[in-house]
Amino acid sequence: MTWFAAWRDGIRRVNRAPAILAGVWVLTVLVSLPLVLGLRGMIEQHLGSSLAADSAVSGVNSDWWQEFSDQATGLGVTFKPTIIGFGAVLDNLSAFLDNDSRPVVIVGAASAYIVLWIFLAGGIIDRYARDRATRAHGFFAASGVFFFRFLRLAAVMWAVYAVLFGYVHAWLFGTVFPAMTRDVTVERTAFFERVGLYLVFGLLVAACNLIFDYAKVRAVVEDRRSMIGAIQSAIGFIRRNGGAAIALYLADFFLFLGVVAVYALVAPGASTGVLYTWLGFAIGQLYILARLWVKLTFWASETALFQGRLAHAGYVAAPKPAWPESPSAEAISRP
Amino acid sequence: MFRAPHLLLTGMLIASTATAQAQVRLKPDTTQGGSTQGGTERSTAEGGAINPPLSPRNANYTIDASLEPATRTITGRELITWHNISTKTATELQFHLYWNAWRDNRSTWMREASLAANRNPASPREQDWGRIDVTSIALTDSTPADLTPLKHVIAPDDGNPDDQTVMAVPLPQPIAPGVGLTIEVKWTAHVPRTFSRTGAIGNYFFIAQWFPKLGVLQDDGWNCHQFHFSTEFFSDYGVYDVRLTVPATWVVGATGVERPDGPHHFYQEDVHDFAWTTSPDYIERHAGFEHPSLPHVDMRLLLQPEHADQAERHFTATRTALKYYGEWYGAYPYGHITIIDPAYQSGAGGMEYPTLFTAGTRWWIAKGVTTPEGVTVHEAGHQFWYGIVGNNEFEDAWMDEGFNTFSTARAVSQVFDPSFYAQRYFGGFVPYVFRDIVLTRETDGNGLRSYRAVAKSDDQSTPSYRYFPGSGGGITYSKTALWLNTMERWLGWPTLQRIMSTHFARWRFKHPKPHDFFDIVTEVAGRDLGWYFDQVSRGSNVFDYGVQDLKSEPDGDQFRTTVVVRRYGEAIFPVDVRATFRNGETVTEHWSGRDRWKLYVYDRAAKVLSAQVDPERVLLLDVNTTNNSRTLEPKAHAAATRWSHTWWVWLEDVLLSYGFFV
Repeated sequence: MTWFAAWRDGIRRVNRAPAILAGVWVLTVLVSLPLVLGLRGMIEQHLGSSLAADSAVSGVNSDWWQEFSDQATGLGVTFKPTIIGFGAVLDNLSAFLDNDSRPVVIVGAASAYIVLWIFLAGGIIDRYARDRATRAHGFFAASGVFFFRFLRLAAVMWAVYAVLFGYVHAWLFGTVFPAMTRDVTVERTAFFERVGLYLVFGLLVAACNLIFDYAKVRAVVEDRRSMIGAIQSAIGFIRRNGGAAIALYLADFFLFLGVVAVYALVAPGASTGVLYTWLGFAIGQLYILARLWVKLTFWASETALFQGRLAHAGYVAAPKPAWPESPSAEAISRP
Repeated sequence: MFRAPHLLLTGMLIASTATAQAQVRLKPDTTQGGSTQGGTERSTAEGGAINPPLSPRNANYTIDASLEPATRTITGRELITWHNISTKTATELQFHLYWNAWRDNRSTWMREASLAANRNPASPREQDWGRIDVTSIALTDSTPADLTPLKHVIAPDDGNPDDQTVMAVPLPQPIAPGVGLTIEVKWTAHVPRTFSRTGAIGNYFFIAQWFPKLGVLQDDGWNCHQFHFSTEFFSDYGVYDVRLTVPATWVVGATGVERPDGPHHFYQEDVHDFAWTTSPDYIERHAGFEHPSLPHVDMRLLLQPEHADQAERHFTATRTALKYYGEWYGAYPYGHITIIDPAYQSGAGGMEYPTLFTAGTRWWIAKGVTTPEGVTVHEAGHQFWYGIVGNNEFEDAWMDEGFNTFSTARAVSQVFDPSFYAQRYFGGFVPYVFRDIVLTRETDGNGLRSYRAVAKSDDQSTPSYRYFPGSGGGITYSKTALWLNTMERWLGWPTLQRIMSTHFARWRFKHPKPHDFFDIVTEVAGRDLGWYFDQVSRGSNVFDYGVQDLKSEPDGDQFRTTVVVRRYGEAIFPVDVRATFRNGETVTEHWSGRDRWKLYVYDRAAKVLSAQVDPERVLLLDVNTTNNSRTLEPKAHAAATRWSHTWWVWLEDVLLSYGFFV
């Protein structure tokens, strides 16, 4: 199977399982909802019965916003003008690449979100690997089967990403970049040097992400229990199929860039009026859905590529295709 | 728009030989509204010479200096002709040796920098420190005397024995009032990597506060402060005749006008400082400022090559300052101005020097944002508040920085409106403009947030060098701009304009103190506003008025409405209180604001809709305006829902960023 065929097949598999997309969107909404309600309460309390709310409803009341920010603590400190429209995306992309810290309450919510994704990952990949409806019991059974395995994998991933973001990033942007640009008097030069370091760092992160993706795929498809073994196998698969794996990853990455680019064009500003407020929110949710769709496409296409290249065929021959047998067994038994 | 009369080719890399030949005739200051002197004065400015003199010219410097870029060394010799224009006999001379602030980390400047940062700043590399060493000092007039063995450092502000930024030299003979002397000083200096907008990076040099410089002898003695982290400078006016030696192909920009009689001979009369810059990389542009009633000004712009397409933005901003400051306060008298676009990372941006200033821009700039216009207007504006009116920046920095912040915001709003909020991402390189957020002169231009953050940190009347490091910006720049803008909204612009132009006219080329300005306010406004300045300048209390309670209940066939307004802050200012009823009727009361609270009761046919204190927002110093109003039909829930939904998308995007790691 070529990377392009895997990519198309991955997109097809995601599109054929809309419940998964809907499910992870609901998950995203539900995890964020308590914080949203918390922030809404803070804003409402701060505005009280002030007329400042009138202009905040109909537009941007910058004076009030500044007062709110100056008095804000906890969650409130994240309520900045940079949340508006496409600025929100840039804010997060920039924070990701520059390794900016977020308030504890945000990190806490994100941690819960990650744990939930870890739980769901097994069921999602299992669904894409089987390429058929697994129903709720099958989905959650697979999720449960792989949850603790993926927790162990997550420990490895956490260690690797901690090194990347805690040490490598600090070294690249806290030591190397200042050293490279110490005597640079042309900003353009410094900018491109920073872009170069972003590429280096991005490649490192992407490489690790690629390995961990295939580790998850192999763990599910081959029903692996050893996560160290899954990582080793993932590396082996990528080494043997490097061109296709990288091309596929790039294709998925460009899909991500495409979603971001489209959102840059249609992202709502601080539109006024009830209708536009909800329209803006709806566009925002479509963007979130698209981002989730891309994330799922990464997994589905990587699963398709792995299955297409039959890397597992040598040692899962002729299994009995009874659940919870591995998806590979099911695939092979399929007429 | 006036275009550059001539452009030097970018690649020529030759030193400028441009000379300002414009005949400048100064406008009578009386045309600026309220001016009380100089009504018949005429001066000509040609090649840096101004006739008749505009200042006392009692501190005149003839300097010969050479720069060795490889070793970052300056070797200099200066001849100072000084006249005692005070009523006090001088028994010693005191000099600023500013660069010694960066000899090591024990200087007062470095200690204060550490305090401001709340940590010890990273120590520079050995070669990055700066220093200035006086190698000889001698009287050279009728009774020559070598004073070198007598020189010693003093620390008049804090007694720090490790601070070497002030040098004292006893005089063999006292210098009585009205008498002068001539001193020759030789020195060597090591150019630091940039500290406080002074120094070098690569082959870019910005050289300021660089020569042994006399303090100011006042009637109560020498005013020669140590160099402090958060304050600037103070010196007497005079004539600067400076010859600079730099590598042959390097471009030089400096205070004054370059004369054709030798490489880099700069001359300027009636200024109180001299700064210069050199680099082989500058490109040069020229343009002019024309105005029907203000003198012509030649503008010379030394630009970084990567900003070549931003020349006109610098010129437009400089014209804006020359036009509006000229119309509001008084004419710019020098006939020429040099705009420096500093190199990236030079740390030299946004600083004023006589007839020269550094702007500051970015390679990637966005439309709708006042970069580089804001800083350019501000620094060009300093030619008026700092350059022409020479207050003591060590002690009363608000008199130039505050006046200028107010004026900058006012001028920018005339020309560059609207401007939008912008944020820079990805290491600060990539700008993004939020076009939903229009910046306002009153809040953003004046810097309300900056003031609010440090409102109680220091009384403004505290000598500026004694402000807590880090709070100077809010008190010096923003608070002054806010109280001036409050005066504008309270007394009206014509009155405030007369006040400021009178102050400008009366104190140009002199050293005003705060009471001089306050006296002019009383004189021009026709009433004593001492109570106002007691609060905004001589105190640190904050203003905060609000509506504490609003009720409207049926009472027979009418509604009884009660409004309680409260003074939450300690500071007092008269404010209006407005009640708006559902039938559209409004009632506006005037409250002295003195009591802690006041009750207003209305019996009206209609229920009240809202009540506001200071509805026209005259009092821009009010630190909390959200509590200034109450309504019986609050929309907080709708606003909170709307903005929490906007934030929701951001939060989900954050979660997805973290989700990448799964």
